[in-house]
Amino acid sequence: MSEPHLPESGEDAPAPDPEGAAAEARARRRLEGGLLQEALGALRAELSARLPSGEHGVDWMALFDSLRRRLGSTGMRSLPAEVDEFGLDRAALERARPWLDALLDRWWRVEVSGADALPRGQPCLFVANHSGLLPWDGLVICHALGRERLAPEAPRFLVEDWLLGLPFAQPFLTRLGGVRACRENAERLLRTRRSVVAFPEGAKGATKVFRQRYRVQRFGRGGVVRTAIATRVPLVPVAVVGAEEAHPVLFKVESAARAIGLPFVPVTPTFPWLGPLGLVPLPSKWWIGFGEPVRTDELVPEAEQDELLVSRLNEQLRAAVQERLDEGLRARPSVWG
Amino acid sequence: MHAPGCVAITGLRSFVGQRLAERLSARGHGLRVLGIDLRRPWRLERRVPFERVDLTDPSANARLAELFARERVEAVVHTAFRRDPTPDLEADHELETIGTLHLLHACAAAKVSRLVVASSTMLYGPRPDNPQYLSESHPLRGHPDAHCIRNRVEMEELVAEWGRKRPDADVTVLRCAWVMGPSHWDRVVRHFAGSLVTTVLGYDPLLQFVHEDDCLDAFEQAVLERRRGVYNVVAPGALPLSMLLRLAGKTALPAPAPLLYRIRDLASRTQTGDPPAAFYDYLRWLWLAEGERAWNAFGEPVYSTREAWISFVASRRMRQYR
Repeated sequence: MSEPHLPESGEDAPAPDPEGAAAEARARRRLEGGLLQEALGALRAELSARLPSGEHGVDWMALFDSLRRRLGSTGMRSLPAEVDEFGLDRAALERARPWLDALLDRWWRVEVSGADALPRGQPCLFVANHSGLLPWDGLVICHALGRERLAPEAPRFLVEDWLLGLPFAQPFLTRLGGVRACRENAERLLRTRRSVVAFPEGAKGATKVFRQRYRVQRFGRGGVVRTAIATRVPLVPVAVVGAEEAHPVLFKVESAARAIGLPFVPVTPTFPWLGPLGLVPLPSKWWIGFGEPVRTDELVPEAEQDELLVSRLNEQLRAAVQERLDEGLRARPSVWG
Repeated sequence: MHAPGCVAITGLRSFVGQRLAERLSARGHGLRVLGIDLRRPWRLERRVPFERVDLTDPSANARLAELFARERVEAVVHTAFRRDPTPDLEADHELETIGTLHLLHACAAAKVSRLVVASSTMLYGPRPDNPQYLSESHPLRGHPDAHCIRNRVEMEELVAEWGRKRPDADVTVLRCAWVMGPSHWDRVVRHFAGSLVTTVLGYDPLLQFVHEDDCLDAFEQAVLERRRGVYNVVAPGALPLSMLLRLAGKTALPAPAPLLYRIRDLASRTQTGDPPAAFYDYLRWLWLAEGERAWNAFGEPVYSTREAWISFVASRRMRQYR
């Protein structure tokens, strides 16, 4: 058609009210979706008030819930399968809890000290020394914090990129609270009141060999400090003693590793000699020491741009971690505790 | 500016184009809709007038400009993109990049004051080094092997440049996540439609969707009201692929990545490739987009990612889930 002949009468008609109409349609649809859910919820409340539960051999509530779950897609909404915005799966964490507990209490006999000085009821940015290719230290610190309720929410640990690129590692780490190490992620976590365990040494820490053990490397370029200033959370230095001996890297092979996308292939007393079994960490005795928190809430947000201040705080943190490490090392009778 | 009097929609046969045309023309109130495409969609309602223009034609810009001026078009919605990439790289480039260029020239000549462009969060590209949530200001890194994504990135650059030169025109770019719902159908939906779904062995990324109604709501608002800027149109929440499949009662068919890419490459070279190898990167790495900006501007979506997925699954296989 060449000439769309359309009435022009709308020109002087009152202007349409798109906001109102759209909102109305939205509300109507929300209602259709939500009404059934609401009715079911009310019914459940009514039933639980009237029916005796448990004592007579029939668990009415369980029966009701199972019936409701079979109600097609309505029931599917209440399936417990759910992850948070960073992929942490509470159900998976709950399933892993006995294993993690055993790892902490039986295998590594983790001891925690200095937790009394931790700021309560607010998220913190934990800054720890890093060791070993596998992020056992992050997992252990997070689990210890969560278990002793030292953080308001489930704390997360930051993981290097290349580790998240490995098959199977990514879903595993993500479900248990690992998050890719980058500034955006850390800030988003802290702003939503979740504590973060960061390893500012990064790859330099993870890839150091056994004779460099417990020598804290440079703390990146101060990204941790900047993140803490921007989100106004305290920085807590953390020293982990014992993790270095879990995977003692004797030396590293770099040439062959490039082909399979790893930064290097570590050679430990057990790996690669024992194959996959060599990935089992050694049962060294672990000690986690929390240092004095460094407050950043008195600083103005512009302090983030103050390079000298940032590098001073950064160095102060690094020194605090090193100091705490040396303390722990002096105190321990032997590697195996 | 009040609601525009005449809205032109390019790509009338696309999902957004057709649905938006129907929605807008049903509003009345003197709002006219003009559809532009190669062919009239057979299901389209009668009252939407249609104009046949080939955007890849060298004279398309002059023809569109003349059309826009004659019909006094005030707003243009650009959805003329391929639903599925074709093996013909040249044709894709001609439509998505050059076609957009022609349209932009016409909009400038006809002094169109509002331009709404359909885009995708796929343009950010799936990468292991993406932050968990990509904001609108994150660079569009696309995918090195997917020419269809590269064309779209180029298209967005053209649109952004056009907008910079004309500060008085409202340019809205809506980057939508994968659209799910009872009636939307494309390559992505087809991948998830069967009861067996191929996945990449050892990877389980979080995915996010947007429900078709929420997506159309955003487009409708962008046309009727002033919503300048770039927005990620996504539903709240994200779920891992494995959990999505479990919710839907589907079976994952995991294949190792190298094998998958090799087979797909072979298939696409023999032009039966479907989907291309690059698609599997979207099932492997993170590419979640941050939706807060759009939620503030357009209102909270009615459906979450989980609900959008369930809406799709329930409508596809209603009988099985009753």
